[in-house]
Amino acid sequence: MSAALTIALDASNYVLILMLVALGLAIIFGLMNVINMAHGEFMMIGGYVVLVCHQAGLGVGWGMVLAPLAVAALGLLVEELVVRRVYTRLLDTILATWGLSLVLKQSISLGFGPGSHSVPNPLPMAVSVLGQPYPAYRLFIMAVTVLVLVFTFWLFFRTDLGLTARCVIANRPMAACLGIDTRRLDRFTFAFGSGLAGLAGAVMTPLVSLDPQMGLGFLVPAFLSILVGGLGSVAAPLAGATAVGVTDTLVATFFSPVWAQGVVFTLAIVLIRLFPDGIATRRRRVV
Amino acid sequence: MPEKAHTPDEAPGPEKAPARDAAGLAPLLHAQAVVAGYGQGVVLHGASLAIGAGERVGLLGRNGAGKTTLLRTLMGLVAIRDGDVEFDGASLRGRPTFAIAQRGIAYVPQGRELFPAFTVEQNLRLGGLAFGASDLSPAWAAFPWLRERRHERAGSLSGGQQQQLAIGRAIVSRPRLMLLDEPLEGVQPSVVSEIAASLDALCSASGMALLLVEQNVDVMLSLCTRVAFIERGAVVHGCDAAAVRATPSLLERYLGV
Repeated sequence: MSAALTIALDASNYVLILMLVALGLAIIFGLMNVINMAHGEFMMIGGYVVLVCHQAGLGVGWGMVLAPLAVAALGLLVEELVVRRVYTRLLDTILATWGLSLVLKQSISLGFGPGSHSVPNPLPMAVSVLGQPYPAYRLFIMAVTVLVLVFTFWLFFRTDLGLTARCVIANRPMAACLGIDTRRLDRFTFAFGSGLAGLAGAVMTPLVSLDPQMGLGFLVPAFLSILVGGLGSVAAPLAGATAVGVTDTLVATFFSPVWAQGVVFTLAIVLIRLFPDGIATRRRRVV
Repeated sequence: MPEKAHTPDEAPGPEKAPARDAAGLAPLLHAQAVVAGYGQGVVLHGASLAIGAGERVGLLGRNGAGKTTLLRTLMGLVAIRDGDVEFDGASLRGRPTFAIAQRGIAYVPQGRELFPAFTVEQNLRLGGLAFGASDLSPAWAAFPWLRERRHERAGSLSGGQQQQLAIGRAIVSRPRLMLLDEPLEGVQPSVVSEIAASLDALCSASGMALLLVEQNVDVMLSLCTRVAFIERGAVVHGCDAAAVRATPSLLERYLGV
């Protein structure tokens, strides 16, 4: 029973982080039709922002506040310098952002060395969950990600800005005919999606070893989440992240992390074969 | 701006510049020898058109003559390659579509292009959001039934209702000119006169100018005061709607097959 609880909490942890990364990817793709191959590196840079803040004596907490803002600013710069010049050509956006991911990885290697770093856990104590001790920091991660996910959904489904964004997703030329500055929305969305990746990287940093290759380990399952969940709605990648994250955690716990990879890939292939539009395809939905 | 001279160097184009205004005022919209097209192809070969403030102009021509392309070009959806469009004294050439819309031109495209998954009210609000216009009363006033069905999905409405919603969405921002492309296409005959009457009332009440593309010539002549005939991408003739009614041979000449 107690083991089951720990596994459930671990799985939720991973699923929520995956949701942050996948949601950032999905809203950028949904609005701009851009597949951002550098999304994992945005996450990695979020981790390095925490490292820099820690080394500068600002503390890990401040790092977590600054990381999403810094990565959002980086996203803004990338959108202006790279993405907007190629965003009508899907294949070119993949190439350009993949190239960008290499540049970012190498820049971090040059600045911080190719080896791994670690930052201290800001909440090293354990908390009792239903009588079972569980790391407080992991609960903190869950709380933060849930809050950010709720905020993102509030932004997209309850505000005028969100209505505008969904209108641009639905019909970009018509949105422009209604006076909506689609370029400004692109910039905002790209920065926001990047910021989500930065936050995910920042909160994960105390739990993992931080190195320039860290991004790929999250980008691949995030892409799988989107493929499995589909892009029928903003919520679809979350269903995919749940399927991928839960499978991964369960198999990794009971068998081995190596098997987990194989099982997740196989499951993804089967699900995509059975539900080509994703397991959370758009049903009748009043948005 | 050295390219001010718009010399009629397109010699074969027998175009009449319809830039005329009884009071001698500058027109609200003035398209001068506009050249535009898609990819390699040129659709508009020097189209000129003037619309005064509050004036209602119908655009007639055969299929493929360039009616829709002219509307799309005015809206900035198709780039102007040569010539110029002035709206309220400012050039629209090279301006992005959203900026043209914000200057006061609303566009109701063929096929309406509503957001079918959004509710009626959300569609209307989207018409005003970019203008800071949260007051939907222009739409409620023109089509009162919209209010009762404001929580329904736009995609669930009938063709005629969708057309009214699309017009409603366009007028929330209180534009000075509406470009209306085939509003009666796919609309049940019983609703045609209803929409025409609403448009008439709407234009009279708001003083909004109208550029109308419509196959239903009777409705067009009843709504518009002036008609421009477009042929092979150029406006070749312009006259009062009354003159068209008096001279049916005009329709024969420019619309006949």
